Amino acid sequence: MLVRFWGTRGSLPVAATATIVQDKVAQALLAASGRSFADLDEARSFARNELDFATSGTFGGATTCVEIEAGDPAAGDPFIICDMGSGLRGFGLDAMRRCSEGHARTYHFFMSHLHWDHIMGFPFFVPAFDPNAHIVIHSGHEDAETALRRQQEEISFPVSFDWLRARIEFVTLKPGETYRIGAVQVEVMEQHHSHSSFGYRFTDASGKVAVFSTDSEHKLEKMEGEADVAHFFREADLVICDTMYSLADSVSMKEDWGHSSNIVAIDLCHGGRAKRLALFHHEPVYSDADIARMHAESMRYEELTREHDPLEVLCAYDGLEVQL
Amino acid sequence: MQWSSAQLQGCIVASPDGRVDEATAEAFTEHLVSSVTLAADCAGKKLIVDLAGLDYMSSRGLRALTLAKRQADAAGVAMALARPNEVMREILAISRYDKLFAVTDTIETAI
Ligand SMILES: [Zn+2]
Ligand SMILES: [Zn+2]
Repeated sequence: MLVRFWGTRGSLPVAATATIVQDKVAQALLAASGRSFADLDEARSFARNELDFATSGTFGGATTCVEIEAGDPAAGDPFIICDMGSGLRGFGLDAMRRCSEGHARTYHFFMSHLHWDHIMGFPFFVPAFDPNAHIVIHSGHEDAETALRRQQEEISFPVSFDWLRARIEFVTLKPGETYRIGAVQVEVMEQHHSHSSFGYRFTDASGKVAVFSTDSEHKLEKMEGEADVAHFFREADLVICDTMYSLADSVSMKEDWGHSSNIVAIDLCHGGRAKRLALFHHEPVYSDADIARMHAESMRYEELTREHDPLEVLCAYDGLEVQL
Repeated sequence: MQWSSAQLQGCIVASPDGRVDEATAEAFTEHLVSSVTLAADCAGKKLIVDLAGLDYMSSRGLRALTLAKRQADAAGVAMALARPNEVMREILAISRYDKLFAVTDTIETAI
């Protein structure tokens, strides 16, 4: 199983401004002072290997979209995608390329929920215009079709949903059931969020497990229910978790905003003995340095509270691929 | 989890011992709740949680502190955290709980 992150930001897409890029260049120049590079490749290798990620790279600014590659795409296994944030645009273009090389034109979407940051990429999803494409939108919500049609009404977007050429289907999934879809088995969990949200647990034929759990608030008053969440995360090879706020913010100013913290995500992964956690749904006001600091602190907290095998803590960024 | 509490200059000083995790969070919460009630009946109307005996605390314990603080606020009781060890100090910083609670190096400064 391969997990590819196309969009990792929460709430709102963001992009680096000129000042931000200049700062990164200045930091890089400072780090390289006294060094000289024979060519671009050598400079590139310095940037990749010797600068920290927040300087040489970026966590990116596209909103949530994660691809789960399972089974054998060459043998006709379909695409699996979680959410349709602005990161979906990039996935769609890459999928068209892969389809031209023989990939099946079937797309199985799994929707955490229907808030704008999780559906805004669909009007820009090129495969929706492919008459040979088959798009199945799985959701815990019964009103997924309403949400997608509404964002393409004339008042919001020039291209109506009815003009899309692909065969598009909507399927409502129920928490507690196990489904066989494409090359994976899928379990569904309902989560606490405005208008509700759903988490998905994907298991492939070799037993590898990826969990997608975003936009999920773990309420102070319902801590006893967290054993169920830890069970949903049980022994997962990768848990993708909403870690938008600090714990203090999530229980004070930003209580009831529907999100979780790095600390609670780590505790839940520890509880379920998960192997890897990807911090996800990054706060749009966070700079790359802020996210990198949150990542470092998360790894440290994991180390301080670890009672069993280590939990590897990754920080998701646009373009990250994780092989399970 | 061991728990003792004492009265000091009209304040309640509560001293948990051990670690607060999934297994001990409930007992920790119950002790906090009764300590807030005790503090509400004292002249100083203050609860100082002496963290010196705690190895560490997971989010369950931190969130129990928040629930206790709400109860304390409603009862007009001030709450402070005192004497965290190095690990606890780091956890309070990482969780940003050091912004929600007054954290002091000694019991005396907390009073
Ligand atoms: Zn969101
Ligand atoms: Zn949302």
